[in-house]
Amino acid sequence: MAAITPYTYIQCPCSDSSTLGRSSDTNSSRADGADDDDDRTFDPRAPRSNYSLYPLEYLLYCEDCHQIRCPRCVAEEIVTYYCPNCLFEVPSSNLKSEGNRCTRSCFQCPICIGPLAVTSVETKPDPSLLAAPDNTAAPQSGPYALTCSYCNWSSTEVGIKFDKPNGIHAQLSKLRNGGTARLTAKERKERRRDPSYRSSAATEQGDGRSGSDEKLDLETQFANLKSFYQSQLADPNASDGGLAALSDLGFSSPTSLSRIMSIYTGGSLHDKKAKLRVGAIREALEVDEGLQLADLDESAAIAQLHSEGHDGTASTSRLSDQPPNFGEAHLHGRSRFVSELRPIPYLLRTKRSKRCPVCRHIISKPEAKVQTTRFRIRLVAGSYIPSIAIRPLSLSSGSGTSASGSAGIPGALLEPLKPAHYLLTFTNPIFESIKVTLGAPAKTPGRFASKVTVLCPEFEIDANTDVWDEALKDPSGAGELRDRERERERRRHKGEEGGNVSNNNNQLEVGKIWERGRNWVSIVVEVVPAWLRLEHGTEEQRLREDEDLLEIPMFVRVEWEAEAVGDEVGAVVGRDKEAREKRELAYWCVLGLGRIRH
Amino acid sequence: MSSKRHSILPPVSSSGPKPPVHFSSSITIADSALLTGTHPIAIHSESVVHPRAKLDSLAGRITIGRRCIIHERSTLGAVGTSGKITEAAVTLGDYVTVEVGAAIEAGETVIGEGTVVGVGARVGAGAVVGKHCTLTPHSEIAAGEVVPDLTVVYSNGMRRTDKREVAELKNKGIARQIDVLRRMIPSNPAKFA
Repeated sequence: MAAITPYTYIQCPCSDSSTLGRSSDTNSSRADGADDDDDRTFDPRAPRSNYSLYPLEYLLYCEDCHQIRCPRCVAEEIVTYYCPNCLFEVPSSNLKSEGNRCTRSCFQCPICIGPLAVTSVETKPDPSLLAAPDNTAAPQSGPYALTCSYCNWSSTEVGIKFDKPNGIHAQLSKLRNGGTARLTAKERKERRRDPSYRSSAATEQGDGRSGSDEKLDLETQFANLKSFYQSQLADPNASDGGLAALSDLGFSSPTSLSRIMSIYTGGSLHDKKAKLRVGAIREALEVDEGLQLADLDESAAIAQLHSEGHDGTASTSRLSDQPPNFGEAHLHGRSRFVSELRPIPYLLRTKRSKRCPVCRHIISKPEAKVQTTRFRIRLVAGSYIPSIAIRPLSLSSGSGTSASGSAGIPGALLEPLKPAHYLLTFTNPIFESIKVTLGAPAKTPGRFASKVTVLCPEFEIDANTDVWDEALKDPSGAGELRDRERERERRRHKGEEGGNVSNNNNQLEVGKIWERGRNWVSIVVEVVPAWLRLEHGTEEQRLREDEDLLEIPMFVRVEWEAEAVGDEVGAVVGRDKEAREKRELAYWCVLGLGRIRH
Repeated sequence: MSSKRHSILPPVSSSGPKPPVHFSSSITIADSALLTGTHPIAIHSESVVHPRAKLDSLAGRITIGRRCIIHERSTLGAVGTSGKITEAAVTLGDYVTVEVGAAIEAGETVIGEGTVVGVGARVGAGAVVGKHCTLTPHSEIAAGEVVPDLTVVYSNGMRRTDKREVAELKNKGIARQIDVLRRMIPSNPAKFA
């Protein structure tokens, strides 16, 4: 079992229904409500917790609601669409017309998803090159193909070659597999009108098959069907006397409207006639009308399966990567083979801004330009709430080695029933001094309860002032040495007050801070890991997944004084200290300390 | 000279016995290539051996075909887990490229004509790789495996068949590359004779 490094996950208040209730009363005064948290200890093992715990780096913070926001509870808005390959920014209007794929020459290999490059297919190898290698390479000309430099796939495998090395997307959309051109709408129309084409096509097929056996591609079939049904709808009205001129307007014509109206208003002879005619709509019977007989002869596919085996078939992920291709053959006998996959135009990606779901303020907004990775607005939680670092504490004095010997090495397994000590370092990121109150259950939830003692659950952390500011403020001198000296002095001072313990004698005292710095405070947590055996029950004796993981739920409440909300900078200066108000933030977090030996 | 930069690599010259060699007169072999072993090493015409390429004939004869390129830090004839001594340890066909850091184990291993052994790839002892194959970087061929002609081994052992039919073109490309390399790498076959 792999050892883990200690971690801290913070629960976003958005997800849990019980905390939702609490978060509402945090807005009102919560000073008295501290007691009733005890019966609602957050359980890090509960199935729901998986979805609400995040490392501090993943969290954002809404400055207006004064609340943590996680990736699940922010509302996202798309700022830009861009191609990840050519970094071209695609306007959203193009997106509607051309789809969510890059329409330049960016393609992915359908086999290995590597980027494809346009290379020229040298159809005639020049024998003189070998003899005289000093010759420069043959001028790049002739047909081009997309090739993958990783897996050596080439678009010539599906019979696709390009005339020009640029505008590949447009060229590809006109080509079908095998290199035959896809019909444009105009061409289709012309072919339908032209009876000579049909006859020639029939003779081309050679074996004298009738017209209904002709293979239609999806697009042609759809166009044929569409025009056929439109004419069917229009027909009854056409004979309806006098209004024939309007017949080809189809659905939207006033005749069809009157016909539909007459169906519902009912009764007359005219209606009966119309009804008969509506019933007379027939299905397509010919290729021209869009009839496509199902091709049940799958011997070719079976033969290919025999020759290529399972490796020759495309996986579902590959098929789902394929862009829709309307110029392709009919669904029957549709490609399921690797040998028929087409190059994939790159899917566009997005840059998104994030909004607070409650107050709609933007809490994260990237620069709109694709090339820059900077953010215009990014309110990360790390700059608002204290970070918690966990370090195993090994007491170097004689008795300490036995007490927390294994905990001294980071990532080592915890010995059951042996008290281990951990140093929690809270670092204050804001420019006000904060008061932190910690609440942790005496026993961890779950079947195996480890005992937890937070030695100092209440302490203050100094403001995150500039190092040099502090140094310059000091009248006795400047520089880090002074700073450190003063720090020590303060620590001593605190020790006299009873808020600190001097770390020289390595004594753990309840209610005392272990160590404190400019904007950080370390406290000690003592854990007695559980004995991972149950007395009775053979089935229950086995450990479930991650039950040996020692995770401590901890409720953190942070209090500080800040400038009043909504005030302009000038107003605050004018009102001075009256404008300051008390703020607080409370949330659950989970301290993962390590695994218990079993 | 204290100003000279010292390499952390072990000195080139101090390893193993000197093998008997059969070099074609037209090959290019770098001064700092490593040739060790007791069995003969044969390199045919116009092949290029980069500096610090290691040819180890301890477990059998090594044969390199025509117009092969053996890149830096690649190993031919690495004695694998078996440690057996065979007649022909490694045989490379013509136009074979062994890229940087690739290893071909000894023991009747055959690499077919026009095959590219990618960066850091490993070919196990006794494997037979067909003609015009491509082993993509860091792919592995197990010992004793037979890889058919024109196979591309990619992304953790997936296989496909190369249908480009560009063997001719590739050979021409190699010929051109060798022409450049010949000018770039100072050849010193006499050192190994």
